[in-house]
Amino acid sequence: MSKSRRFFSAPNRRELLLPLLFIAPAVAVLLTLSIYPLIYSVTISLQRDTASGTIWGLGNFTRLFTDNFFWTAMAHTFVYAIAALTCEFLLGLGLALLLNAQIRGRGFFRASLLVPMMLPPVVVGVVWRLMLNPDFGAINGTLKWFGISTENLTWTASPRLAMLSVIAVDVWQWTPFVFLVLLAGLQAIPQEPYEAALIDGSSRWQTFWHVTLPLLKPSILIVLLLRTMDLLRVFDQIFILTEGGPGFATETISLYIYRTAFRFFDFGYAAAMSFVLLALTNIISAIYIKFLQAPEAT
Amino acid sequence: MFAIAPVYWMLTISLKTEVEQFATPPPWFVFTPTLAHYYDAFITRGFGQYLLTSAIVAVISTAGALVIGTLAAYALARFELPFRLNRRLSLWILSTRMFPAIVTAVPLFLMMRDLRLLNTRVALILIYTAFNLPFVVWMMRGFFADLPRDLEEAALVDGDSRLGALLRVVLPLVAPGLAATAVFCLIVSWNEFLFALVLTQTEAAMTLPVGIAGRVTQYEIKWGVMSAAASVAIVPILVFALALQKYLVRGLSMGAVKG
Repeated sequence: MSKSRRFFSAPNRRELLLPLLFIAPAVAVLLTLSIYPLIYSVTISLQRDTASGTIWGLGNFTRLFTDNFFWTAMAHTFVYAIAALTCEFLLGLGLALLLNAQIRGRGFFRASLLVPMMLPPVVVGVVWRLMLNPDFGAINGTLKWFGISTENLTWTASPRLAMLSVIAVDVWQWTPFVFLVLLAGLQAIPQEPYEAALIDGSSRWQTFWHVTLPLLKPSILIVLLLRTMDLLRVFDQIFILTEGGPGFATETISLYIYRTAFRFFDFGYAAAMSFVLLALTNIISAIYIKFLQAPEAT
Repeated sequence: MFAIAPVYWMLTISLKTEVEQFATPPPWFVFTPTLAHYYDAFITRGFGQYLLTSAIVAVISTAGALVIGTLAAYALARFELPFRLNRRLSLWILSTRMFPAIVTAVPLFLMMRDLRLLNTRVALILIYTAFNLPFVVWMMRGFFADLPRDLEEAALVDGDSRLGALLRVVLPLVAPGLAATAVFCLIVSWNEFLFALVLTQTEAAMTLPVGIAGRVTQYEIKWGVMSAAASVAIVPILVFALALQKYLVRGLSMGAVKG
């Protein structure tokens, strides 16, 4: 009660009106176009259309357990996310450490690194469809020129290489981002701890492990968090590159949800699956944020 | 070099005749350039229409997100709200951006269908505005917080209203940040694919990415036309990327790295 009295007390009321007016449109837009759709989605997920009318219940959720396509798509999503994340992180960190000291006069270098991540995902898809095309793509063309047989290298059309191809494309597109964020993090580290380590006679490896990594931890966690979220929801590039194929070889969870909703028009089941994806991304981001907020233990 | 070589390769494809596209070894540098594919794509095949739709949707949704988002950001940065609302609202606004797009794609499709807004630009403008809003709020809140309060207070003492102080004193000072934020929103809207794919199926309402994707997944692919359209789609991106590389990483990580 005391809280609400303070809230509505006369001098405060006038002070509060203006900021609330400023904030109201934003809240209204987000409530209608972000929160309401979520709630609506819950009701969709609880409905199933059958011959005898709409049935309410958890049918869409129990169906998940017996749907092999769903679990395969989940597995693909994780393989894709973990492989791409590992490559991007190791490459990005390696490059950042390597180039930290000697990177001056880098306007063009930096601008060209920014290009891949800014591209429309559709264009990334087109670019790599061209690069990886078995008949006239630059990759196979160049390999042939070196005398390497490319008969079996059909990349996105081959069940074995398709997943590798889509992972490689993501690594191409997003390693520069990881690199730039980590580089910014490295350059924000002050000199003193390094000098102290030098005086202590630490080896380079010890310095890296005990000084650089802990100080770089916030940047690392943030870049991993952002990439993980993007990778788990991946849709656009794979849709253009393979449409989840050949067969089911690169079908990730977002593609499967899309297909269920907009090819088979089973909106209820699609909504149910999207909640699994939502829960998954929420749990994983919560774990990252917990690590991020944990007190520094050096 | 490794980063831009594939893009360069696409550019060459868009400029090559169909004979040279299939040549082995692939000509990376020496070929006879032709603009035929560009003419084909934009004059005879309707990519001009997609381009126009993309531009209209991107500009209007960016303007909407900037106006609504900047007001909210200013209030969150400058006023003490009760119940720790500043922090709670900011986090809530940010959290709306964290949903995977596919999660809201299904309900938004059904909502737009019921509102008879499928295949309209209005639907995309609304959704992109909402999509960019959290980003605008967080970026602008940071820029406002970095700004000393003295100038506004001086303006208020001079008899300006709060809104007047915001428009005449504060906004000019954060103009570079505002411009950077605007460019991000433009790029996000320009690049967006999933919602555009789901919500626009007719020629008249398609955006450029959907138009391109429609051609890629058809059985027979006109590679030259595709590359020409895709090359045009990246021109605005390249211009912007060069213009504001400084802000780019901060923007992509939503200012989070700065702490």
